Amino acid sequence: MKTRARGHHTARTLDQLAAGERAVIASVDCPPAIARRLMELGLLPGTEVQVIRRAPLGDPLEIALRGVHLSLRTSEARHIDVTPA
Amino acid sequence: MSRPPEAAPRRIAILGNPNAGKSTLFNALTGLRQKVANYPGVTVEKKTGSCDLPDGRRAEIIDLPGSYSLQPASPDEMVVRDVLLGLQVDTPPPDLIVFVVDATNLERHLYLALQVIELGRPIILTLNMMDAADAQGLRIDAAVLERQLGVPVIGISAVRGTGLDRLRDLMARDVEPSTRHFREWPSHLQRVIDRLEQRVPRLPSVPDRARRDVAVAMLLDQGEDDALAKHVSAEALADAHLLARRLDEFSPGWRSGDVAGRYEAITALVAEAVNAPAGDHKDARRAAIDRVLTHRIFGPVIFVVLMGAVFQSVFAWAQPLMDLIDWGMRAVGNGIGHAMPEGPLRSLVVDGIIAGVGTTLTFVPQIAILFLFLSVLEDSGYMARAAFIMDRVMSRVGLSGRSFIPLLSSFACAIPGIMATRSIDSRRDRFTTIMIAPFMSCSARLPVYALLIGAFVPNRWVGFVTLPGITLFAMYFLGILAAVVVAWALKRTVLAGGLPLYVMELPPYRMPAWRSVFITVRERSLLFTRNAGTVILAITVVLWFLASYPKGGEAVRALEAERTQVAAAGDTTRLRALDNQIASAALAHSFAGRTGRLIEPAIEPLGFDWRIGIGLITSLAAREVMVSTMATVFNLGSGESDVQPLRKILREAVDTRTGKLAYTPLTGISLMVFYVLACQCMSTLAVVRRETNSWRWPIAMLVMMNAMAWLASFTVYQGGRLLGYGA
Repeated sequence: MKTRARGHHTARTLDQLAAGERAVIASVDCPPAIARRLMELGLLPGTEVQVIRRAPLGDPLEIALRGVHLSLRTSEARHIDVTPA
Repeated sequence: MSRPPEAAPRRIAILGNPNAGKSTLFNALTGLRQKVANYPGVTVEKKTGSCDLPDGRRAEIIDLPGSYSLQPASPDEMVVRDVLLGLQVDTPPPDLIVFVVDATNLERHLYLALQVIELGRPIILTLNMMDAADAQGLRIDAAVLERQLGVPVIGISAVRGTGLDRLRDLMARDVEPSTRHFREWPSHLQRVIDRLEQRVPRLPSVPDRARRDVAVAMLLDQGEDDALAKHVSAEALADAHLLARRLDEFSPGWRSGDVAGRYEAITALVAEAVNAPAGDHKDARRAAIDRVLTHRIFGPVIFVVLMGAVFQSVFAWAQPLMDLIDWGMRAVGNGIGHAMPEGPLRSLVVDGIIAGVGTTLTFVPQIAILFLFLSVLEDSGYMARAAFIMDRVMSRVGLSGRSFIPLLSSFACAIPGIMATRSIDSRRDRFTTIMIAPFMSCSARLPVYALLIGAFVPNRWVGFVTLPGITLFAMYFLGILAAVVVAWALKRTVLAGGLPLYVMELPPYRMPAWRSVFITVRERSLLFTRNAGTVILAITVVLWFLASYPKGGEAVRALEAERTQVAAAGDTTRLRALDNQIASAALAHSFAGRTGRLIEPAIEPLGFDWRIGIGLITSLAAREVMVSTMATVFNLGSGESDVQPLRKILREAVDTRTGKLAYTPLTGISLMVFYVLACQCMSTLAVVRRETNSWRWPIAMLVMMNAMAWLASFTVYQGGRLLGYGA
């Protein structure tokens, strides 16, 4: 179970960002093996991430971080908490 | 012929992230001197090649699959880790690793590089795409990287071929392994790892420094690690699992404990070694292209147009080549036919072997053209965008966007389609895609649909469309529906599980290296000819035998006696008719004909008689053969190119036992449904065997598809009769 509110900000998840919006990753709340792989791909807490666009059918998302562009499904992005950049 | 030991080839592995340009470098170094096989027991391809070093020695180059991490998330990455740790039985660890990174994206690509450097094996860090880095104004200080990483660093461009001579020089030299460490485990975790390290067996192929990595792998193992199970004692593994569970309780998040440390090291390193110009120059071009290609409206439109063009080209460009091969093989057959005395041997060579070789070769144009497009799309970076656009659609059946193009290709032919599933990262998704690809109505089914629709479906307008049009559409739709159902079922049963992670890199757009594209096309075509070709040839010869033997029989002898008289009288029209009758009688007398009668009880509930049974059997060579078989069965002679008379004959065929019409429109529909769903194409099974590296999947496919076909046709025919459509 994940805590919704962290600190002073209302915590949002990556899938809730609008196209073009930037944020900083706060935590990755997935099963351990998935969390590890996402982190190895650079989605570490503290990393700045930008949502570039949504796919034409609304899913997945294109995100950019550390100079890399990734396609991430909404169902995966939902587990990544972000705070404003 | 004993060679001095120092002349033994150096074993060099090329390694890197996907999209680092690894394969382009491999192709540039080895050219056409390549070999493709499978790692034992898995479906991962093992690509090796050879390359001459400046000192006159030969190097054996192995192209390891692209990976993101030594903590494997796929069978490909598992093989990479096993080879590097020294746990892969058939592939000893390399003498040298050429680690390829994208120079424009060091931050990401260095992650795996750091993991591999820590293993303590000799390694050259190869900064690829230096031309692109220069164009972006990136200045990379190789000396800083060398000093900080403790390995030689070299800049190249595999696409342009620059820096390759220097790389070959380096490849001939002895490289000292680095002694650097970049990982930081918290101290309590370090103690656990130290303790486990004691339990790692001493293997000559595992260097001392890599023993720690084996210990980490033991700790992170979730019971699916075959290499560990083979090399490490069961008690040690059980202890490791116990420790992991304890850690899960006391320090959640420990499993990714080393990741952040490595990225911190990378950030510091990149800040010191790379001088990037201010602003986002790098992304300007990409953003402009992506704005169009993944646009909400233009994106899908361009995708559909592009796929239509690819599909049309596979059809249109392949057809003349296929006709040419067909014509050529027939010419060869005729030539040999004239040179050899008439008899069983000539028949075997011409109708068995040459026909089999011809069948194999006619697939090659489709495979070559499809792979030409696929490798250009892949290398340019568009393939990832196509997957991005189609992901939503495919996720409905539990697959990812990567499955779309192989399935689309299967409408031309399932064989290149199944071969194209190599680009799907997830093994479970790939196998699911392979299992449903043959449901897509391929071009070989079209002649069968055309014959049956022409014979049994009245050409009437219904609103804006014709009844034949609706029927044809329904057959294609039925195949797609079956594929959806089977995919759904497989992903919930035998192919359930795995990491449900669909994250995918969207690489920058790049100009493909044409030489590399050419090598891929050649390699795929050769692989098919060599591996599937032998099976197809064997099947063709068996089918030839079944349709040709035993010879004679009473009916044939009587007709032949009559033929001798007619020939003497010189009545050519009657002679042609007799020849056709003889062919028909001989086929009915053959093993194939007998099998047709033998299986009649099994197919009678579907509305099929023994004559259709023969067609079903000869369809095993290729579905369209059904049309010429039916022509032979009904005394038309198989050379008849016009199907008009055959349609009429099928419509008017009489069941000799009842005196009624043998086939009704309901029979036609039932037979078409059977052709949509049945697994008849033995060539497809040969390719499935090669691509899954096991007989289990092709056999499962054969049983599943034919059971579905039988049940569906049974339902259509018996249901139709109950509703009164049987007359």
